Amino acid sequence: MDKELAVMMLTWEFPPRIVGGISPHVYCLSRSLAKNGVKVYVVTCDFPEAPQHEVVDGVEIFRIDSYKNPSPDFVTWVYLMNMNMQREAAAIVNNLDGKVDIFHAHDWLVANAGIGLKHVFRKPLLATFHSTQVGRNGAQYEYERMIHETEYWLTYEAWRVICCSNYMISHAKWAFGLPEDKLVMIPNGVNFQEYARNKNPNLSQFRVMFALSEERIVLFVGRLVYEKGVHVLIKALSKVLEKVNVKFVIVGSGYMEEELSNLVTGMGLAHKVMFTGFVDDETLRNLQRCADVCVVPSLFEPFGIAALEAMAAGSPLVVSDTGGLSEIVEHDVTGVKVHPNNPDSLAWGIARVLLDKKYAEQLKNNAYKKVQEKYDWDKISQRTKTVYETVLKEYSESFWT
Amino acid sequence: MRVVIFSWEFPPRVVGQLADYVRELAAQLVKNKVETHVVTYHDYLTGRYEEPEGIKTYRVTNPVRTHNGVLTWVLTLNQEVERAATNIYYDTDKRVDLIDVQDWHFIPTAVTLKKAFNLPFIYSVESLEDHRSHGADSPFNMAIKSIEQLGMYEAERIVVKSEWMQDEVVRIYKVPKERVKVVLPKSSTWIKDNLETYISVAEGAKWIKN
Repeated sequence: MDKELAVMMLTWEFPPRIVGGISPHVYCLSRSLAKNGVKVYVVTCDFPEAPQHEVVDGVEIFRIDSYKNPSPDFVTWVYLMNMNMQREAAAIVNNLDGKVDIFHAHDWLVANAGIGLKHVFRKPLLATFHSTQVGRNGAQYEYERMIHETEYWLTYEAWRVICCSNYMISHAKWAFGLPEDKLVMIPNGVNFQEYARNKNPNLSQFRVMFALSEERIVLFVGRLVYEKGVHVLIKALSKVLEKVNVKFVIVGSGYMEEELSNLVTGMGLAHKVMFTGFVDDETLRNLQRCADVCVVPSLFEPFGIAALEAMAAGSPLVVSDTGGLSEIVEHDVTGVKVHPNNPDSLAWGIARVLLDKKYAEQLKNNAYKKVQEKYDWDKISQRTKTVYETVLKEYSESFWT
Repeated sequence: MRVVIFSWEFPPRVVGQLADYVRELAAQLVKNKVETHVVTYHDYLTGRYEEPEGIKTYRVTNPVRTHNGVLTWVLTLNQEVERAATNIYYDTDKRVDLIDVQDWHFIPTAVTLKKAFNLPFIYSVESLEDHRSHGADSPFNMAIKSIEQLGMYEAERIVVKSEWMQDEVVRIYKVPKERVKVVLPKSSTWIKDNLETYISVAEGAKWIKN
């Protein structure tokens, strides 16, 4: 391609606005694409004190008015925010003389805007599905069906649908009835350089803020929502304590926060579990570095970025054998796999890692090699760029050109 | 002159008075040599195109079937209206002079097209949320009001059907009175007044585009 390829990413979250995994994903992907010679515009929701327009690491970011009046409900807010997003993005593209080759939407949260911009500027639309409503908690009720149908509509309008694991590919095929050749698998990456850099020399000092010196740290990182399986982890606690003295450190927030803390109190084990809430990046990395084991007990997991981060941080890993986690972790080689939604199995896995230092060391080393080989953002962004080029070639033969 | 009219009702789908009003307006425009396209909603005439009385009529349906209220319904339907409108735009070699948005429903599309193509629009007010909901200000009503407000702010001209409504638009949305034109539906100069408004908006836009 002679001229620089220009892509406009649409995402409802982008740093410093971080809700879940989409924000770091789009940030790392955009930055790596920019390094690989792609012009990237990111259009995202505004955030207090973040500038409306800035360039970070070669990526041009526009923050739009995310509709800040009270909304009747979350879905209506999403649609209203999309109304603003496509209006502002339309003006941006107009100012660029239409020089955007591809619109790339992340999840149904920007479906309307992505679909609108596709038709207005007659450029191909790509969609990355980080998760699905059917997988999160089903599409039985009116509210859930609206989300599911919006997701379906986005897959229908997209030129290609990108999923981050083979599991998600087959899930999307089933949930939306998509043909094989519309789907592309590109895994998530992890910034393992970030973990190598800024190594904290005083980890033991940092550690005492979270656990007693005789306690081993079992770390969970994720939103406190049903599908992440934190409740399963908590139910495994007494079984683990029979064998090892541990402290569970639970990082993240979500609608199950109160329920989980009540569960812990009811078990009489409040002194063995620490809920930190949402923490900043540096604290998170240090926690991952000093954890004796990281646990990803998800019931539904499209990918499992928390697992990659643990691998990059050099912490041994226990995951439930489901979704994307099954593909990331090789049992007994790069981590321990346990039965999903099974506290006994999970307790067994945690104890196994904590009681055998040599075994844990081996898992850590293998895992670190694996992330460098397979989950490097630079390599992943090149795969994304290849998809862009393929789509543009097909597009150049379509009646829109 | 080429005009695209957006209306959420158009015969045979008749919800209130607006359907017949828009049909009559479109028919008169055609008689006055205005190429008139109407984009409207119809649930079971999906994708149909026809030309009753020379009115180029496009009917779209909602891509999302389940809704919890008129707001989500409108906001998703807008995308199909937008798709139909951009097809008209590209099929006519980008020579659309203006859009006439009848009532608030498809204001989001009109504003996006204005931002994307510098295409001007008229906001024809049928009724206002403040009157429909008797001043209620729940998040639901406020969202509809914010869409009306967007239309008031972004439209080249606001057209109302009575002097009372002109005063109400000025009072509620603080719009300068000069931007709100009264076109009386029953008057003998009805179609002439409409044409004059269209022409002035289209001419003004040409100046902006160059």
